[in-house]
Amino acid sequence: MNVPGASPALVAHLIVLSMISFGGIPAMLPNLRDYIVTGNGWITDQDFANCFAVVQAIPGPNMILMMSFIGWKIGGLPVAIAGAFATFVPPCAISFVVFRWWERFRKAEWQGLVRRGLTPVTIGLVIAGGYAMAQASDVGWASVAVTIAAAGFLLLTRINPLWMLGAGAVLGGLGLV
Amino acid sequence: MAYSLEAREPAPRITLPALFATFLQISLIGFGGPIVWARRFLVERQRWLDDQEFAEILSLGQFLPGPNVICMTVCVGSKFRGPAGALAAVAGFILIPWTVGFALGALFLHYTQIAAMQNIMRGVSAVGAGLIIATGIRLLRPQIRSKAAMLFAGAAFAGLAFAKLPLLPLVLVLVPLSIAAANYERRIVG
Repeated sequence: MNVPGASPALVAHLIVLSMISFGGIPAMLPNLRDYIVTGNGWITDQDFANCFAVVQAIPGPNMILMMSFIGWKIGGLPVAIAGAFATFVPPCAISFVVFRWWERFRKAEWQGLVRRGLTPVTIGLVIAGGYAMAQASDVGWASVAVTIAAAGFLLLTRINPLWMLGAGAVLGGLGLV
Repeated sequence: MAYSLEAREPAPRITLPALFATFLQISLIGFGGPIVWARRFLVERQRWLDDQEFAEILSLGQFLPGPNVICMTVCVGSKFRGPAGALAAVAGFILIPWTVGFALGALFLHYTQIAAMQNIMRGVSAVGAGLIIATGIRLLRPQIRSKAAMLFAGAAFAGLAFAKLPLLPLVLVLVPLSIAAANYERRIVG
């Protein structure tokens, strides 16, 4: 679909979203969906859902790819590329500036304390993120067992996680999970 | 122990191609949670960071916009090789993986039964969830002797996973308390 003005508006919206995407891009998806599907009707709800399903099944930076596919549907390849840049350039620039500043005070006593307090909270959130993901995919004991087995294998063996992901894909494809 | 970064012997110089190649692999393999692969490559294989440093950089990402792994890419590149390192790492993370992913995804969007793919992805994400949980447990290991750290890791987990509190307010409340507790603990224990 080619709506005049849709492409620049999409890219501008993505720039703003990516700059305020604290907590990651997935947290911004409901807003993006409201803007693109409900607000402007540039693509259908089904298209939006398909883009999301597809980027989870392919390798690569998946949220950046998701924005590219939305851009592609709205304005072709140039907008796909512009969508990718709009999604990663602002967070990269902000990260770079903040990290430089942070490193300048690496030896300061206050930073040691901040790091000491900050790190455990982050780790708790990482584990909670895994827990939430297990629940999102949850349809009963089989998927819980798969999650626990994967965690156990990663902690206790040296098996490459790719094998585990492959096994998960097979189990899912067979409808067992 | 945990903060003796300066005392470690100087690591061999990390080259720009090495940064490019490492983040290329993290991005390209990154199924089921990029953080799992970031830790595997940066901590286990390359040994550029230890678990403590990895968790610290990840923490910084909590306060920055964008995917956490993008922040980590910029920070690691910049830490070892300045602006050029950040560019090399980001280029590795995005250029080739984006192209491959875009081509594959375009094919999928045209030809695949999305429903079948959703079944497969359910299996993958059940595994991915386990990998992320295990990665978190690994990161927790250097903290295990600190009661304050374990308490606040537990509180952050429970607040997000069980109480389902919104992320930003949760972080803004827990982090100052956790910093205060760490400070108190250090003064008591010495």
